[in-house]
Amino acid sequence: MLPVIDVRDVHRIYDSGGVPTHALRGVSLTVRKGEFLCIMGPSGSGKSTLMNILGCLDTPTSGSYLLEGVDVAKLGDDELAQVRATRIGFVFQSFNLLPRSTVIRNVMLPLLYTDVAPRDRERRACEALASVGLPAEYFDHRSNELSGGQMQRVAIARALVNDPALVLADEPTGNLDSATSEVVLNTFVRMRDAGKTVVLITHDPEVATWADRCVHIRDGRLLTDEQERAHVMRSESRGRGST
Amino acid sequence: MRLRDLWAETWEALDANRGRSLLTVLGIVIGISAVIAMTALIGGVRQGLMGELGLDRARVITMGVYNGSQVRTEDIAKIEEGLPEYEYITGSSYGGGKVASDAKSVDGQVLGIAPHYFDVTGQKLVEGRTFTSGENDSASTVAILDKTSAHNLFGDEDALGQKVRIKGIEYRVVGLLENSQQTDPKGVTAYVPLKACVQRVTGYDNVDMLSGMAREGEDIDSLVTKTKDFLATYYHLSDEDVENGLYVSSMKSMIDSFNSVMFTFQLLMTSVASISLVVGGIGIMNMMLTNVTERIREIGLRKALGARRSDITRQFLLESVCLTLAGGAIGIVLGYLGAFALGGVATGLLASGDSGMSLTVTPVIEPMAVLGATGICVLIGVVFGYYPARRAAKLDPVESLHYQ
Repeated sequence: MLPVIDVRDVHRIYDSGGVPTHALRGVSLTVRKGEFLCIMGPSGSGKSTLMNILGCLDTPTSGSYLLEGVDVAKLGDDELAQVRATRIGFVFQSFNLLPRSTVIRNVMLPLLYTDVAPRDRERRACEALASVGLPAEYFDHRSNELSGGQMQRVAIARALVNDPALVLADEPTGNLDSATSEVVLNTFVRMRDAGKTVVLITHDPEVATWADRCVHIRDGRLLTDEQERAHVMRSESRGRGST
Repeated sequence: MRLRDLWAETWEALDANRGRSLLTVLGIVIGISAVIAMTALIGGVRQGLMGELGLDRARVITMGVYNGSQVRTEDIAKIEEGLPEYEYITGSSYGGGKVASDAKSVDGQVLGIAPHYFDVTGQKLVEGRTFTSGENDSASTVAILDKTSAHNLFGDEDALGQKVRIKGIEYRVVGLLENSQQTDPKGVTAYVPLKACVQRVTGYDNVDMLSGMAREGEDIDSLVTKTKDFLATYYHLSDEDVENGLYVSSMKSMIDSFNSVMFTFQLLMTSVASISLVVGGIGIMNMMLTNVTERIREIGLRKALGARRSDITRQFLLESVCLTLAGGAIGIVLGYLGAFALGGVATGLLASGDSGMSLTVTPVIEPMAVLGATGICVLIGVVFGYYPARRAAKLDPVESLHYQ
């Protein structure tokens, strides 16, 4: 079956004030449908750049990125917007809900930019909210009246509402305590079980254990399994040395 | 993005900043209400004057010879003959004195009038008839009164058919006129045939004022010149007399000068209003820029969720257009309210003043003015909203999502 994500030898070079920054140096990655993948890496490793490219917010300088078989690396601004509107759901660390709007309107927001008929939007939003387990009594609350865990579940519902091929989560538990984190991560697992493809970006090894597979990124390159093991051993020995 | 959604989003955004939005559109409100009030008032004054003057009045040319020459009643026909450009020429002679009924005697004026006099002044007969040509030719003792004069002489009695006495001679009232500028609220104005006036009231064959109705299609300005030359020759006037003692003027020049005064006034008000509108527009732009900065994360989010640049541009443009339109709507309402208030004050001042002018200024609500004001508002909204909207649309989604 066609992989959802097929990234081949992607480079991304930023030109910041005349000094080129090589953020990604030949990244290749394949993610199957229904997989829960975790991308780990410290800050500055290029994981945000990779996430932006996977989310079609940015395009690679070179290399190819097939999203469900469609090469999105060479699309223009409006076409990328179209891809984001229909195929990708985003979950952010800081939720990014519109604070003055109600929960249901927040969830319906992505549908404004799609062809979904107005009469279907509310039904889809309710379904998405039900799937993340938010009780119906909250639907008409303003989003800034919710707790952090509830907000993130609303944000996940928003990511699901356009029935995307891929859900991208950037540090989704970064602002949550561990009990709430568990609820949110469970939501991702349930999404995976329902056949969604989830890519989660984090630097927290604890979060990474929830994923089916985990890839590490360092200095713009994905580590091979061997490099990975060596890296883990090195950090473990450093850990022992310091105690 | 559907239009309905765009509206909903715009409404929500504006509703969130209600106070700030209201303050921002104040410039637009002032500008638009100034334009509307001005247009309504000028329209009202013009309509008031034109209504008073009548449509044909632009073709009327008034003449007076004031160097001491005697203008005889028979001259009217001769001038008419010499100047075929006129449909007719009429004239009037003025005599003062007391006008009396059986009950009372009132100070007033007597106007001897040639045929067509009322056509030129625009006065309208409400009852009875004008003088017949027989009465005109034979200097008959018949009179026409305006309503106020009739009331002052006869009270509530019907004046038609009654007798009035002027200089001891009885005249029969055959017609009643609507009140006009010649109406003296406390006195009496009695109109009698021109010949009757010069023979029985003044006793001196002199026509004080001549008026001609130019034929349709005549060039009024050149006819004025031609009339001047004709009268100068006819009465053997010296150059000095022509300069000081000959008066030939058309309503057209009066209307023209009124229009040019109004135009100047309009220009002045328009420039004041324009300044206010530009300032208002800059205010809108300023607010929209603040708006964009405050909502950078929201814009980033919308883009991440699939909004195209054009969606963002349209959203912010619609917001600024809605702001200016709201300002415009308030301005139109305030403008008309102000115009009606000012119109009432002006009418009152004119009526109570010594000018003797009575002009009712009723502001005119012109659909074109409302439409124009609305158009201006949309234009300002687009012009001053475009830059902030484009700025919002061009924001990079990645950067704006992480904007603090």
